[in-house]
Amino acid sequence: MKIIIKTLFFLFSALIFSQENCFIYPEKSPERKACELCDKAITYQQGSKESQLIFDEAIATAPNFAWSYYQKAVPFLKRGFLYEGLEILNNAVELKPLEYLCYRAYWYWQYQNHNLCIKDLETYYALPKAYLQFTPGGEKDMRLILGLAYAKQNNYKKAIKTIEDCIATYKTEDDIGLSDYHTLAILYIKIKNYNKAIETMNMQFTVNKDIPDSYYYLGLAYKGKLNFKEAKIQFNKALLKFQEDNYYSNPNAGFKAYKIDVETEINTLNSL
Amino acid sequence: MIKTNTFQNILILITVFAFFTACNQEEKQQQKYQNQIGDTPYNFNLDTKNFKLCDSLNTLHKRAYVKYKGGNKALKKELVENYKLQSQYKTYNGYFIIRFVVNCKDEAGRYRMEVLDENFNLANAPKELQKHILNLFKTLKNWQHPFYENKHYDGYKFITIKITNGQIQLV
Repeated sequence: MKIIIKTLFFLFSALIFSQENCFIYPEKSPERKACELCDKAITYQQGSKESQLIFDEAIATAPNFAWSYYQKAVPFLKRGFLYEGLEILNNAVELKPLEYLCYRAYWYWQYQNHNLCIKDLETYYALPKAYLQFTPGGEKDMRLILGLAYAKQNNYKKAIKTIEDCIATYKTEDDIGLSDYHTLAILYIKIKNYNKAIETMNMQFTVNKDIPDSYYYLGLAYKGKLNFKEAKIQFNKALLKFQEDNYYSNPNAGFKAYKIDVETEINTLNSL
Repeated sequence: MIKTNTFQNILILITVFAFFTACNQEEKQQQKYQNQIGDTPYNFNLDTKNFKLCDSLNTLHKRAYVKYKGGNKALKKELVENYKLQSQYKTYNGYFIIRFVVNCKDEAGRYRMEVLDENFNLANAPKELQKHILNLFKTLKNWQHPFYENKHYDGYKFITIKITNGQIQLV
């Protein structure tokens, strides 16, 4: 139930992020007109000629209205036209860095350009009015993405600090994301702090027990402590979780485990 | 009478000119905007004639529904194993975004490629490397077409390859 409520909350957050309130612009102003055009464009299928024509009309109407560029860029980015998509999105970032830096950072993350991702997110979080931002799917605080990007550059110390600091800002346990502790636990494994990894992964299970990878990484932590019996128990739990229909796929995991990874570990332990 | 004829001729000329200008603009617009971003029509110079879409008017633009047998792990394994690192690529860094279509018979075709540098600017990768990467994709045979909302589709897919110091990585 907790997971459903959180998922709905995150989806709602994502929806809010994707909408613009046209009424904040003066009536008959170019921005108001462009905003209304964008509202019209998004009623058409994303990436369709009809929508693109209207976005271009919106851009021509108010060249300094960032939302038109953002909306126009999305289908390009989603369909593998990265160069074209970024060219358009850069206009939105330039006009409204506070709103669109994180979105561009997300695409840099998606394309595993960790340097550019870190650069954008560090710029964003240095802004005086930086606020809580999530991945477009709403499942992860962007500070987790920043932490993961550091980790991808093997800067685990900075990665751990970023995510620990992020979690520390949450007012209650209910604000914890569905994979925050999971992500942190993996980073402890990377620096071979297995006790902290086990402790953190057990905290993950109080929030969300449905990521198969959690059991896999917990198994790795026990394996690191040479507790092969417990490691095997966790690997088998991971295998069972992978067989369930509705396990949580943990988008933007950064360090993803696959069923074959689990099977390999079980086979290795069986052969000891 | 002569004046009227001249006026009529000018009017006809303006109408004809306006008509052709409108047609030309329409043509330009057609070139700039596809029905869907990413639609890839047959190109005589790039595509094989044998590759056909099952329903060219209804190709799905949902890349997650085009899958590879054995998943990403299998795809990665095949790409890495078939990639031949040449000494001249060892200093190369950049991205290759390969777009293609998988038809309802699980055949792939209409390959297109975008080559970008480390900062996502358009780049000129060595021609041999570009050819090699494209060929790697053309030899992949285990694509699975989309089955979406109880219907079989042709579907667009794109895969990104990151090259760091000549080493290949599936993004």
